[in-house]
Amino acid sequence: MATHNSSLDRGLKSRSRSSDIGWDIGRYALLIFFLLVFLVPVLWIWASALKSSIEISRNPFALPQEFMWENIERAWTVGGFDRYLLNTVIYCAAIVTGVVALSCFAGYALALLPLPGRGVVLGLFLLGLMVPFQSVMIPIYYLLRDVGLLETYWAFIIPGIALRLPFGIFLMRGFFKGLPNDIADAARLDGANEWNVFRSVMLPLAIPGLSTLVVFQFINTWNQFLMPLIFVQRDELRPVALGVMFFFGRFTADRGLIAAGVTISMIPMVILYLLLQRRFIEGITAGAMKT
Amino acid sequence: MAVMQASAGRTRGNQFRRSWTRYRPGVLFLLPAFILYAIFMIYPFFQSIYLSFTDWNGADPVKNFVGLENYRNLLTDSLLWKSLRHNLIWVVIGTLGPLAMGFLLAVMLSSRPKGFTLFRTAYFLPQVLSPVIIGIVWGWIYNPLFGILNVGLERIGLENWTRGWLGDPAWALYAVLLAAMWAETGFVFVIFLAGLQNVNRDLIEAATLDGANAWRRFWDVTVPQMANVVTVVAALLLIGGFSVFDIIFVMTGGGPANATDVIATYAYTEAFVQNNVGYASTLTLVITIITLIASYIFIQWRERGEE
Repeated sequence: MATHNSSLDRGLKSRSRSSDIGWDIGRYALLIFFLLVFLVPVLWIWASALKSSIEISRNPFALPQEFMWENIERAWTVGGFDRYLLNTVIYCAAIVTGVVALSCFAGYALALLPLPGRGVVLGLFLLGLMVPFQSVMIPIYYLLRDVGLLETYWAFIIPGIALRLPFGIFLMRGFFKGLPNDIADAARLDGANEWNVFRSVMLPLAIPGLSTLVVFQFINTWNQFLMPLIFVQRDELRPVALGVMFFFGRFTADRGLIAAGVTISMIPMVILYLLLQRRFIEGITAGAMKT
Repeated sequence: MAVMQASAGRTRGNQFRRSWTRYRPGVLFLLPAFILYAIFMIYPFFQSIYLSFTDWNGADPVKNFVGLENYRNLLTDSLLWKSLRHNLIWVVIGTLGPLAMGFLLAVMLSSRPKGFTLFRTAYFLPQVLSPVIIGIVWGWIYNPLFGILNVGLERIGLENWTRGWLGDPAWALYAVLLAAMWAETGFVFVIFLAGLQNVNRDLIEAATLDGANAWRRFWDVTVPQMANVVTVVAALLLIGGFSVFDIIFVMTGGGPANATDVIATYAYTEAFVQNNVGYASTLTLVITIITLIASYIFIQWRERGEE
């Protein structure tokens, strides 16, 4: 960083003072323009959540004249957002736990343990990493129907875990492969069995990789749309990402209420993001680049 | 004879036992994931191929085998070709747009100027919003009555540019695409930002000493080192573009008059609205094949680059 700054400074010094300032102004103008591009749509919805429907169409750019907190209250009760949010928490807890646990086990085995047919297994998981959800959505739907799971939480939880395993396994495998294997061998020589080697020696070393997977999987599950759209058939089981769409369809004309519902559904994630933003950004970057 | 057989059996048994002791931990660690994956991914994958040779409607107890009929129908299905064309537009613009915008933003912020954290937080924000929320927010922006796009155009005197963006077949696809680009740019931006932080400073330093100006340093030293990152991001966007569904489904549902249908929305309708399960499976197989080819090319390309 330090060397970078000094080289940059040297580069800048070679120009005249006035063009420096011109460049800075131009850059900040662009940066602020894009700041508005990304923030205004969101802020507009938040402001609209506190306006009446008439005010939304009359003064779209203005702040609310009087704060209509009752929009939020009404959206919460008539929209059933408590239920939707609770469902999302259930889905996230179950799917994140499942994906992380199974990916750790399998990723560890595929990275460090002797296995017959490792290449074939890796190939099969690679297939799942490449094909989109659409490739399997139709048979999974009928499979869930035939075993009678369509009307339960499991309809999203089980395929939600299964289809995310390739990603988790490759991420964790890459991570375990980077760990020094002599530590594990030393523990084996001390008489530790394979489970204890994994649990007490290797897993603690993999915590950074694991937390990347948790963050990435959490955001992914929270926002997942097509899978619950197809598999979750009962309204009281819908996650919030889906619930807000049906809420939108039911109250299209009541704009203040819609904006309030949309705001409610995005606030938890936005707060988490603001609190943990470095983890979020690292998680998404690492998740995308490492597989 | 009997003794020999018994002893042969014993060695084989011993061998099996020996390799089982060797493999047991690995197999046990792998098995839970593999079983779940086999039932909910491998089996459906092949089942999907099987269904594409039937005319099943999802309800009949028997699935009629119809051979290649579904595949023949693909060739004359004008909606399929229309959808594929939309996918192509989506892939080209939806990859190049975020690449360019993300690159611009990353370059402007790579020296961490004042306000860096604020800008980064804002640019990345759409990445944590669900596609439904992005779809609803942008649907509102485009609303002909109270959307800020039309109101804004009126305020700056461009009344004749206003239109019902999502209701106009000539504009709807591009309107949805713009919303998707808005959401995708933050992702590209943070990855490029991380890539720029990893650029070799010594090379830049050396180029400066050699008298290269900022512009030359950027194009001749920084950009080549970013080539790998750019390829990965481009491939991710490109491959994702062939299976895009969420934001289109929420904003237009494929309408008006199929003007925004892509192959994924078309397959969804066939499968879960029309219940043409057999033909829908054939359509999803088209997505699968395109995606696999694109992924394969990308992986080959990357492995060659790494050598």
